[in-house]
Amino acid sequence: MTSTVCAGTFEPHVPALPLSPPCAAPDRDIAAPAALPNFTAALEKRKALRILAIGSSSTAGLGATSNGKSYPSRLESILERALKGIDIEVVNRGVSGEVAEITAERIRSEVAIDKPDLVLWQLGTNDALIRVPPDEFETEVRDLLRWLRDNKIDVVLVGMQYTTRLARDPSYAEIRARLQRIATEEKVLYVRRYDAMRFIAQAHAELRLMARDEFHLNDLGYQCMAEHVAHALVASLYVKTPRPAAE
Amino acid sequence: MREPNEIDFWRGFALVTIFVNHVPGLYFERFTYRNASLSDAAELFVLLAGWALRKLVDSTPKEGAAAGLVFRLAGRALDVYVAQLVITEIAIAILAASSILLDAPFLLDWHNASAVFHDPVRAHIGTVVLTHQLGYFNILPLYVVLMLGAPLIPSIHRAAPSALLPASLAIYAATLVLGVNLPTWPIEGTWFFNPLAWQAVFVLGYLAAGTDGFGGFVRRHRTSLRWLALPVVALGALAALARYSPDPIDLPEPTLFFMFDKTFLSPARLLHALALAVLLGGAFATIRRFLPPLTDYLALLGRNSLQVFCAASLLSLIGQILRFASGGTFAIDAVIVSVGVSILGAVAWASDSRERLRRASPKGQPPSSPAASS
Repeated sequence: MTSTVCAGTFEPHVPALPLSPPCAAPDRDIAAPAALPNFTAALEKRKALRILAIGSSSTAGLGATSNGKSYPSRLESILERALKGIDIEVVNRGVSGEVAEITAERIRSEVAIDKPDLVLWQLGTNDALIRVPPDEFETEVRDLLRWLRDNKIDVVLVGMQYTTRLARDPSYAEIRARLQRIATEEKVLYVRRYDAMRFIAQAHAELRLMARDEFHLNDLGYQCMAEHVAHALVASLYVKTPRPAAE
Repeated sequence: MREPNEIDFWRGFALVTIFVNHVPGLYFERFTYRNASLSDAAELFVLLAGWALRKLVDSTPKEGAAAGLVFRLAGRALDVYVAQLVITEIAIAILAASSILLDAPFLLDWHNASAVFHDPVRAHIGTVVLTHQLGYFNILPLYVVLMLGAPLIPSIHRAAPSALLPASLAIYAATLVLGVNLPTWPIEGTWFFNPLAWQAVFVLGYLAAGTDGFGGFVRRHRTSLRWLALPVVALGALAALARYSPDPIDLPEPTLFFMFDKTFLSPARLLHALALAVLLGGAFATIRRFLPPLTDYLALLGRNSLQVFCAASLLSLIGQILRFASGGTFAIDAVIVSVGVSILGAVAWASDSRERLRRASPKGQPPSSPAASS
């Protein structure tokens, strides 16, 4: 990783986060590191950080057996273990079945009221299913990314899930391609859930990451989602110059 | 039936706009006014609801009216509440049926519906106490809260006419300063339309409808206010077209005052909605001269606003599902809008006819459906 380590009160040598065996996937299928300058700076200055996890059902935790097993809850404990001495609060604002346009409105509201140190925006699935034109989706997402940048808040885009049914849906593929392009061009961290989940599905045919409806994740699916997001975050903590995202 | 009038016309206009705006990705959305405006049909709808409240209050005889008025307004709040529960339940059934028919379990997720299926114990409580709202079905809960508070408005207004506006604005300001909002449950979050903030536009509508006080002031200074409104509307159009949104990082506290926030109805949106009303209010007569079928049709919708609103909410949802199933082409979008607006007309016409029958029936012999009087 071409990262520059900077000095600070915070221990900068956070070791790469290991993935549990069922969630193991190659780095290229999880995320290309991208700089998180504001989050990293906050980490150096403060002992308590707030992360806003916003999006739709994958954030709300549908299919999990309890709220504590949603990806934001799991992420909170993984990050607290990895970043020793830092108190991390991950606020869950997932609303199932919501399109990006409405989530963007809620993000602006949340940021104005309670400025978070990092926004994890999980998006794309519902826009693809409700057939929002890809150009509209792209404009909406880019607008918000620029707005967040202007307001010095780092953001992580958390991509769409892999399901065998939607793998063949052209709108689904198109929105996913747009997300990848937006992330590369806007230089934001993008967690490629689809690729990571597909890798696991192909590597371990016996593992089930999905709930019985074949759409929501199950507890293991959320565990892996949290691990992947945490892995991508930690790998990006001290990145100064993001390397071009691998296609 | 009352003749087409300006309020009904604009209400009908707001209803059609809300119907189109609630189908994400619909081709015709680009022709709705929010694309060139800071405020949208929601502000217009609530402003007109406040206006209608004033008309209702003024048409209630003054003698011994206090109790009668409270009952009347509480009855209206109950009507809206029941309507909200009924359309929510129908929406849930539409999603459930589509998920079976289209073999698409993810439809159960749409618009925050999932808790009803995955966490039914708590979601049912939340639905009844209005803390669980489906996306796009969140305007009526606001309206219920406003109507529950509605008896206070004429009471304060009669006791101390000049106190109503400052009281309303004080609650509004405090809400924005503190950032308080009603919670949602079981899904953790807050109301999409914050009643504590949105009551301001409701009360302003109430006051503007009168010929005294604020309403009188507006009427007396109509021309100068229009000149003031013009730049506000123009700036709003520029901001919307440029997709500009203020940066809280550059703003002084409390930032909500300077944002374009919809949940908290930031002052820019409120001011813009008022400016739009001042600028376009009165245009009805002109529009009617050139396009009488349009004005009469929209007035028909607006005259039956609750029924049409409910139908529009469900039709938007059906439109979304059709777009999912068909891939969302221009042709299907054209069908959704033309058939949808026609059905809204049919619903309004049926409601009008029922009302006509009720009025025609001899006194003391209510027709079979007493519920039709709302």
